[in-house]
Amino acid sequence: MRGANAALGAAGLAAFLALGEAVPRLGLVEREYFPPTSRIAGALGTEVADGAFWTALGDTLTGWALGLALAVGAGIVVGVLLCVVPYLRAATASTIEFLRPIPSVALIPLAVLLYGTELKSVLLLVVYASFWQVLIQVLYGVQDVDPVAEETARSYGLGTWARVRHVLWPTALPYVMTGVRLAAAVALILAITAELVIGAPGLGARIAVAQTSQAVPEMYALIVVAGLLGLLINVGARSVERRALAWHQSVRGEVTV
Amino acid sequence: MRRLFVGLTAVSVLTAATACGSSGSGGSDDAGSSGGTTTVEVGIIPIVDVAPLYLGQKKGFFEERGLKLSFSSAQGGAAIVPGVVSGQFEFGFSNMTSLMIAQSSDVPVKAVANGIASTGEVGEDFEALTVKGDSPVKSAKDLEGKKVAINTLKNINETAVRASVRKAGGDPDEVELVELAFDQMPAALDAGRIDAAMVVEPALATIKNQGGREIASPMVDIAPGLTVAMYFTSTRYAQENPEVVKKFQEATAESLAYADAHPDEVREIVTTYTKIPADVLAKVTLPKWPAEPNRAAIEELARLGEADGLFKRTPDLDKLLP
Repeated sequence: MRGANAALGAAGLAAFLALGEAVPRLGLVEREYFPPTSRIAGALGTEVADGAFWTALGDTLTGWALGLALAVGAGIVVGVLLCVVPYLRAATASTIEFLRPIPSVALIPLAVLLYGTELKSVLLLVVYASFWQVLIQVLYGVQDVDPVAEETARSYGLGTWARVRHVLWPTALPYVMTGVRLAAAVALILAITAELVIGAPGLGARIAVAQTSQAVPEMYALIVVAGLLGLLINVGARSVERRALAWHQSVRGEVTV
Repeated sequence: MRRLFVGLTAVSVLTAATACGSSGSGGSDDAGSSGGTTTVEVGIIPIVDVAPLYLGQKKGFFEERGLKLSFSSAQGGAAIVPGVVSGQFEFGFSNMTSLMIAQSSDVPVKAVANGIASTGEVGEDFEALTVKGDSPVKSAKDLEGKKVAINTLKNINETAVRASVRKAGGDPDEVELVELAFDQMPAALDAGRIDAAMVVEPALATIKNQGGREIASPMVDIAPGLTVAMYFTSTRYAQENPEVVKKFQEATAESLAYADAHPDEVREIVTTYTKIPADVLAKVTLPKWPAEPNRAAIEELARLGEADGLFKRTPDLDKLLP
């Protein structure tokens, strides 16, 4: 079953690449501005041979990983805290709904003002965007706790910490993992966007240099790298999710990938 | 707190700024001294314009004065002006109109060294108003009712395009200006989504490669030998570090003169921080790098900008210029 899915996935990708080769060659779009797949692949080869490319990739991954770790840590701590203290939840509900829809990129001027074009600017945007993904999932997860289980735990005299550990956390974990998976993708998008717009070192900045330099195939090659990175991160996040939730019925009962 | 406020003002005023857009990579280091060398962070845009600084650094013009440059590539003035005002960068690169807008809005900036100047030669400038090869548009006057792309509205390129239309006998208010990044202009022009584009190098070389025509040299139409961009610092930094500023001015002046005299070395150094393809780079028209700003031309730019309503009040050039 999984083998067949993987084969279908590969076939889909191959068809997409073939389309990318055909469209410019048939003259449907101008080749200068949308080079065929083979030329992009050539440019990708040149990029991979360049040490500066790997430095940029490392910078992007650093921004992504640090930002994601901070967002997940803060999201879980804040989420659990808000739920354990009901007054806090009520007091912050409208503030969260106010802050959550603010697009992270709108904070670029603030990030530049505070941290210039350093990694910290990227982190600000990444953490801001992915924090909400985790927090909201934690809040939903905690809400899903069975009141009977909670009351039972109370009547057995379990303390706050023990109830968080044995009742709240197992219920919330599947939600948290969904939040982490969403946050991982958002964090990558924001890391690259921040580099692209602010100029902080990384893949995004390299894309921007290629753009201003009229180096079109190189630009698409780097965009392809960003896409591949997203694919890998998604696959990785799913496998982490499966392992962490191996006991949960959503995973145990899962038939396909 | 005051710094934050001033910076925010800078941001709100200048979300759209410098003449030339887009970004790149760069390391960053806070200014610090070690062994008699002061490292200064310079906010730049990774384009041909800033080649003299890279060249000067390589030639040791900064080192022999005890300065070391650390480049921070940023996305236009949107990042550079607030970066300098808030002290993230000691120096920055910005076009004159952006600097004058900042000055007239009480954003504390001080121009310290010349950046780039137009070549002053019609048809042979590094920035031009271009149309597609088969376009019926013959001169800037024919742009009335047409769609013209500029990188940033209400900035130097708007003043420039309007100057060209006016000079050709047209009404600039009849021209529809749209905002588009320089690097996207060649494709947009080719596809017919815009009728004309105000582009800089290397997009200009790309447009010429695809058979596009120049119909005007707007920077020249503003004033001959116009100072298009300058290096600047914050007034606070200039007051507190007059020595560093003086060294930066001297080293930059030497670098500009050297770059002006060695175009081949300029093209060489450009390949180290951009990805401009070799065939495009060979055709790129280089700007002029005089050591001194052209005050008379800047005054004309200010006058035209004021007529177009870009400034809150007349910029004080005595305060802004070195």
